[in-house]
Parts: sequence; C-alpha cells; structure tokens
Amino acid sequence: MTNLLFALSVAAIAAAGLWLALRRDLVDIVIGLALVGTAANLFLFGAGRVVEARPPLLAAGETAFAHAVANPLPQALVLTAIVIGFALTCFAVALALRLAGGREVDGDALSAAEPPPARDGEPGGLP
Amino acid sequence: MHATPAVHPPLAAWVRFAWLLPALLFALALGNGRWPLGVEFAWVAALDVAVAFHIDGLSRLFVLLITGIGALVLFYAPAYLAGDPRLASLVRLLLAFMAAMLGAVCADDLVLLFLFWEATSVLSFLLVGFDHEKPASREAARQALLVTGGGGLVLLAGLLLLLEAAPGLRLSTLSSLDAATVGQPLFAAGVALVLVGAMSKSAQFPFHFWLPGAMSAPTPVSAYLHSATMVKLGVYLLARFDPALSGVLSWWADALVAIGTLTAVWAAVLSLRERDLKRILAWSTVSALGTLTLLIGLPNEWGALAFAIFLLAHALYKAPLFFVAGNVDHATGTRSIDRLRGMRRALPLTATAAVLAGLSMAGLPASLGYVAKDVMSIAKSLSEPMWLVGAASVVVSAVGVAVAAVAALRVFFGPADGPPLAADGQGVSLRLDLPPLLLALCGLLLGLFPAWAEPVLLEAAGVVAPRLAGALPVLGLVDGPRLGGVAIVVALGAATYGCWDRFHLLLERLRPLDAFGPAAGYRLALRLVKSGGALVGRRMQNGRTGFYLCVSVLAVVALAAPLLPPPRWSATALDGADLGFAAAAALAVVGAVSAVAARDTLARLLAAGLVGVACAMVFLFRGAPDLAFTQLVVETVFVVVAAVALRRHRPLSPPPRVGALRAAVAVAFGALLGGLTLAVQQAPPDTQLSQFFLGASLPQAHGRNVVNVIIVDFRALDTLGEIAVVLLAAVAARPLVAALRGADAATAGRSVILAHAVAFLYPLMLFTAALVLLRGHNAPGGGFIAALLAVSASAAIALVFGPAAARSRLPLAPPALAAAGLVLALLSGLPALLLGQAFLTHQWGEITLGGFSFAFSTVLLFDLGVLCCVWGALAGFCLRLLGEGR
Repeated sequence: MTNLLFALSVAAIAAAGLWLALRRDLVDIVIGLALVGTAANLFLFGAGRVVEARPPLLAAGETAFAHAVANPLPQALVLTAIVIGFALTCFAVALALRLAGGREVDGDALSAAEPPPARDGEPGGLP
Repeated sequence: MHATPAVHPPLAAWVRFAWLLPALLFALALGNGRWPLGVEFAWVAALDVAVAFHIDGLSRLFVLLITGIGALVLFYAPAYLAGDPRLASLVRLLLAFMAAMLGAVCADDLVLLFLFWEATSVLSFLLVGFDHEKPASREAARQALLVTGGGGLVLLAGLLLLLEAAPGLRLSTLSSLDAATVGQPLFAAGVALVLVGAMSKSAQFPFHFWLPGAMSAPTPVSAYLHSATMVKLGVYLLARFDPALSGVLSWWADALVAIGTLTAVWAAVLSLRERDLKRILAWSTVSALGTLTLLIGLPNEWGALAFAIFLLAHALYKAPLFFVAGNVDHATGTRSIDRLRGMRRALPLTATAAVLAGLSMAGLPASLGYVAKDVMSIAKSLSEPMWLVGAASVVVSAVGVAVAAVAALRVFFGPADGPPLAADGQGVSLRLDLPPLLLALCGLLLGLFPAWAEPVLLEAAGVVAPRLAGALPVLGLVDGPRLGGVAIVVALGAATYGCWDRFHLLLERLRPLDAFGPAAGYRLALRLVKSGGALVGRRMQNGRTGFYLCVSVLAVVALAAPLLPPPRWSATALDGADLGFAAAAALAVVGAVSAVAARDTLARLLAAGLVGVACAMVFLFRGAPDLAFTQLVVETVFVVVAAVALRRHRPLSPPPRVGALRAAVAVAFGALLGGLTLAVQQAPPDTQLSQFFLGASLPQAHGRNVVNVIIVDFRALDTLGEIAVVLLAAVAARPLVAALRGADAATAGRSVILAHAVAFLYPLMLFTAALVLLRGHNAPGGGFIAALLAVSASAAIALVFGPAAARSRLPLAPPALAAAGLVLALLSGLPALLLGQAFLTHQWGEITLGGFSFAFSTVLLFDLGVLCCVWGALAGFCLRLLGEGR
C-alpha cells in the first residue's frame, strides 16, 4: 500500500511537471522542469526501497548498526542531485528572464533559435 | 579551390623509385617455394579474432598479380602525371591500396579479411575520385563506394553468420568443413550474403554499373584497380568458398554459372554501345569477370584450371590495353574511337603493345589468351551440356575479339587523320611504353611456353579444385579441331568489328530501356533516400520545441513500457507507523494536482513549493533527515527567489491551452515513471554496496553520519565533479544575468521590524551553518546543507536591504567564493597524493594542546570547500534574480 502510494506520488509529480513543461509560458516551463527534477529525485530515492527504517546514523557510543537502517547510498546521490537541480533551475529562470526581456514570455519564441526547416533534397541544420 | 602554385615542388626521388618495393615483393613471392605459409598473432581473443594470414597457391597467384602489375603501375604513374603536384599523393594511395589488397588475399581470419576488403573499397573511392574538382569524378567515386561499400556490409553480415554457424572458421579450414555444418540453413544464409558481397566487388549483374563509371580515375588506377586486382577480389573469394560448397550446397554452382553467364553476355553487349576507349575496355572487363565467375561454377576440375589461366591471361592483356588507352589519352587528349585513327605513326611502341595484347585478348594461337580459351572449352565440354552457356560464351568471345580489334587496329591503323598530338609537347616517353610492352610480351611468351607458368597456375587451381592432380595434357597445343573453333570465333569477331558502328546505332536506339536498368534503380534509390530524409527532416524538425519533447517522451515510453513487469497488488493495510508517510505522499499528489489546476503563476509556484515540502516529509518519514533538510531549504529559497524574480511576469493571456495530445503525453510519462517506481519497489534489493558503506563508515572514515561520509569521503571525487557542475551553471548564467537590469537599490518602504530581525538573524544563520558544517560528519548536516542555509541568509538580506548589501556581506564576491571553494576541495585531496595514496583519500590527525586534543581531518577542508562553492554559486544566482524582480 505504501509502495503504491509512493509510486502514485512520483507519477503525479512527473505528469504535472511534464504537462507544465509542454505549455507555452516560459515560467510554466521552468516550474515544470523543476517538478520533473523532483520526481526524478524521488524515484532515485525509491531505488533504495522505501521502507520504515531509521536514519543511517550511528548513535554516540555505538560501533555498528544493531537495527535496520535506511539505505544511505541513494540518499547521498539524491542530496547532491537536489542541489544541482536547484542550480539548473536558477539557470532556467535566468534564461527565461533574458528571453522575456520584459515582454510576455512565449515558448514559441524559442523556435526563433531553431535552424531553418529542411528543404527538399537538402538536409536542414545550422547554416 | 586554391590556385596551383606556379612552381611545382621538386618531385621527391622516392616517387620515381616506389615501384622497386612491389618489384621486390614480386621477386620474393616468385622465388619462395615453401607454400602454404601461415602467420598468426593474437588480437581480439575475446571475440576469437586474430591477425592470421595464410598464403597458399591461390593467394600466391594473386600476390604475384598485385605486386607484379603494381610495380609496373608505379613505374608508369610518375611519367603519366609528370609535373602534376598530386603525383606523390597518387603514389601514396596506390601503395596503401596495394597493402590492403595483399592483406585481403592473404588474410585467413574472416574479420581480418573484411577489414582489408573495406580498406580496398575506401581507397578505391579516393582513387576514383582523384580528380575531385570534377563533379562526374565525385559522382563516380560515390557510386563505387556505395555499391562496393554496401556490398562490404552485406559481406560482413554473411561472414558473421558463417562464424555463428561454424565457430572458429578460417578461410584455410573452409574445405575441411563437414557436410552437416555446411548444410545448416544459417550457413547457407551466410554463404548467400557472402555471394552478394563478392558480386558487388566484382561488378557482377546487377551491380555491374559502377565499374564503367569508375573509369573517371586516372589511367594507372584503372589499369591496376579496375582490371587487374581489386575487381578480382570478389571472384577470389568465390574461388575460396567453392571447394567447400560445390556438391554440398545445391544452388551454389548453378547460381555462379547463371550470374557469370548473364554478366558476361550483358557486359559484352553493352561494350558495343560505347565510344570511349576506356569505357569499352571497362565493359569487356566486366564481361571477363562474369566469365571467371562462370568458370568457378563449373563442376569439374578443368574449370578451376581455366579460372587460374584466364585470370592471369586477362591481367596480362587488359592491363596493357588500359596503359595503351592512357598513352593515347596522354598524347592526344581524347579517348573517343571516333577521332582516333592511324595513331601507329605517332605512337609506334604503344601500337606494338596494343597489337601484342590484342592478340592475346582475341585468343589467337601462340598467346596465353589462346591457352585460356582452350582450357575453357575443355572445361565446358566436360560439363553437362548447357547449350545456353555455350552459345553465350561464343557471343562473349566474339565481342572480345571485336574489342581487341578496336583497341589494337581501329585506333592505330587506317588513314592518318587522327587528332594532333597534345600541344604541351608531352609525347609518350619510354617510361609510358615499357609497362604495356612488358606485360603484353609476357602474355605472348607464356602462351608459347605455358610450362613456365604451369607450377604457379596448377598450385592455384589445386586450391579451387583439390582433386586436380598431375596428368594434364600439354597446354597450348595447336591442333586442327581446336583451330577450327578459334577460326569461327575470330570470324564472328571480325564481323562484329566490321559492323561495330551499326551495332552502336542499334543499341543507341534502345537507350530508353536504361530507365529500367539497375543503374536507374541505383539513382532512384539514392533520390528516394534524399527526398525521404528531407521529408522526415521537415516533419520531425519543425522548430517546435514542445513537439520535440513530446516525440522524445513518447519514444521512451514506447520503448520502456513493454519492459515493465506486471505490478503485483498487495492488499496490506496501512498501519499506524505509516500514516505520516502516507499523508506526505498524499500531500505531494495534492500539490501536483494544484500545480496543474492553478490559474495564476504565483499560485502555481506555491503549489510546486508544496510538492517540495511534501517530498521533504517523505524523506523525513523514510529515514533520510539530511535529504529532508536539503529539500526544505531548497524549496523555500526557490519559491521566494522565483516569486520575486518573476514578480513582473504576467502569464500569457488568454490562458494557453495545452492540447489533449500533450496532456496524454504527460500522463503517459507519469504512468511510466510511476510504473518503474512500483517495479523497483517490488524487486528484491541488492544491498551489498550499502552494507559496505554502513560497515566501513566508522572504522575507516571516522564518521557516524553515513550519508555525509559517502558524500565527502567514499565518493568524494563524484562530489568534486558535482560542485564543479554547480559552479559551471553559475558561470554559464553570468552573461545571461549580467544583461539583466540589476536594480540594486534597497526596497523603498521596507518594514523596520523586518529589517532589524533580518540584520539580527543573518549572523545567527551563518553561525548555524558553521555548526551544521562541523557536526555534519556525525549527525545530520554537512557542507551542502550548510551552504543552503548560508544562501537563504544571503537571500534574506537581499530581500530587505537589496542585493548589493547582501553581496557586500559575503566573504568574497560570489564567483570568487565559488572558485575558492572548488580550490579548497581540490587542495584537500593533495596530502593523500603526497603520501602516495589515491587522490582525495582523507587524512586524520590529532593535535594535543594543553590537555585538550583536537581531531583534525582533510574531510573538514573538503566539506568547507563544498560549502563555499555552493554558497558562492547559488548566492550569485539568487542575488541577481532578486535584483531583477525590483
């Protein structure tokens, strides 16, 4: 049951994130990307199995774990992933602001940066 | 195109003497009598691929051809391209090609054979396209590469299938395969693919069209690649496979006879259509290659002998004829048989060579061509009566006689109204005449004294037909009945020669039929690939980024979804201990739904923040306090910074609609990730690595917080890379945010209470960050979390007093702080290097000072580096973004 609930929350966050990322509004896209990142972090955390367990901390005086503890490896990976994800989200916000330049922000304006479409018999691509 | 230099660089001496190398090899191959010869080095042992060579009689015949004619071609080339600055590169390419050919005919390992085979295709591409300024040259080179290179890929597939069916197969062990192995369908499929590959290389129908096109190559190249050596690689391979297959695979011999006959006749007819001397010779080469294929397919031993003799005879008359065509071209600038007449007065030696080679090509008595024809007719008469093949060979021989007459008589004799010699005064030097004369004389001498060549030829034929043994009639015997056959063919050939122009006109009228030929099919396929590619490009690369995302996601879902195991539903009820976790997960779902449902950007941002907080709760309830702490701080800072930075943002109006398709894509993506999560949860975990970390954390790394120990110690190098990424993101954003209007003025009308509170809180937060850093090794905390706390402290100052105030309170400017952090982290790894340990192996020491002992470790230095790097990078971001919102 907890497994199912956990999977459901990952699915909901990922779907909401992608849905936002597919919109035209650049700010929605940035929020969507952040949500997709959160879903990915949760999924990675889940790879260590989401079970009732104590944190992987040795109490003072103990020399070995006497009880079941949570898997520390995915935690270490996810911790750095959260910070990197935050840095990249900030980058995306900066990009969005720069593109906006004070105007309304439109994802379709991004297409202006795309190479021209291919003509018959010739490949498309950057000039 | 750059201008040709006015003064040519002096010709390096090695170019003039490069022919000595193949000549030496030729002498070695001729003199050495110890065959077969095997050499082997291990190469890719895991794939059972070795550098293995095996030189037997068949290989030796080819080695003699490659080195012998190669020596003459290299002797000829410097005179042909005299004064051309590209001569040295031509000679280099020819030498490389020769090496590839030698490798191909000596290779024993199948993969090695393929590599040399492809090398010859690529070098042929470079040589055919040697005049790369001419579009026709480039087109011909591309065609040759696509046909022979594509055939090479088919060959590779075939060889791999053979290796699959008969592991450890070598060319030298082919003949000892048992019938059961050869009888496997897999083996037969491999053989069929090898056959296709060999056909493409040897220009067999329907791949024949590339060879005449390749005549745009310089003459030395045509003489070498397209008559004497490379195009014979295909028949070489067929001859290699024949002893193992004939009699076992029922269709093998029939297929060879059918393909060979069709190619020989087809090419013979098409040669009548040409007016260019070189192209006429090219078509007759295709015809000869068809004859060679046919001879391999003949079931008796005489076919093998005829194959070997005709192979040699053809090389000895066709190569000189190509040289002759080159000399005529060199002297007059044209190769059209309409203009070339009576050239014997201007080019007496070339004319002599042409006539001598023509005698052999026509198969007149006392030439090697006659001997070959003779043995061929014996082989055919011993086979089951195949009247169609017999009739075809008469046509082919007659056209051969006619082509010989065109090359030897039409061009050189008759009225002297031929074109004037080229104005540049480059006559035909002895160096240009010597190679064709020598080869043509060889053809005649070996015809008169076949016994000289007999050992080599018998050895080669013995490989193709192992039962072939001694007891042969005297070769080249001239007697009545055989002469009668020759006379008939010569008469027919003379008639064809006489009607050459009439045949030409007739075939010209049939030219529209070309639209249905293989060459047209090749062009159509090429056009389809191009327009198909353009169509796909137009449809797929339509400039809409959302479309790209949809396609990528759908592709991933379509690929991954079928791999998911079916979910197992367990109906365990939630117990009390799980309630907190369940509430957190439910809150995450609620946050996600609200993010979708929200109408306003700020509301959406807050919903995203809610998701983050719910996530932090999930971490907390599942034994990850470090993660919970990190997520919480990140989420808070993100929501505040984004809300301020995007304060002036107005959502697009009217509210943008997301199509049903995009919603479906999003749902499919969520379902895939959810399904994956469930599948992972239901699989048994592999805790080996985690158990190691849990066990080794205290004794080896002196830390009680295993998560932190992993980050700063066990996987420190990874962490170093990760903080470098954070730094790079900040560096990459600098040009973006620098252009924003950084309104640095403090907020007007700020709350006095808030200002006092923040001014008091700032040092407190930094102190907390320092504590979190220090205790991180043994309790929740560490460099990352401390950095996020420090970032939120800076953000708080910026919100109240403005970004400039926050920046002034940092120990260094943000980029410098981040860089200093990275340097600190790097430095913390150096002591280990000095002690001869792996980089970033942390050191521990204890200093006793006045009764107190302080533990010191490079771990702390590393974590301090993490703190500074992340603080500097993220604070730089946040301050800029906050400034933008003002």
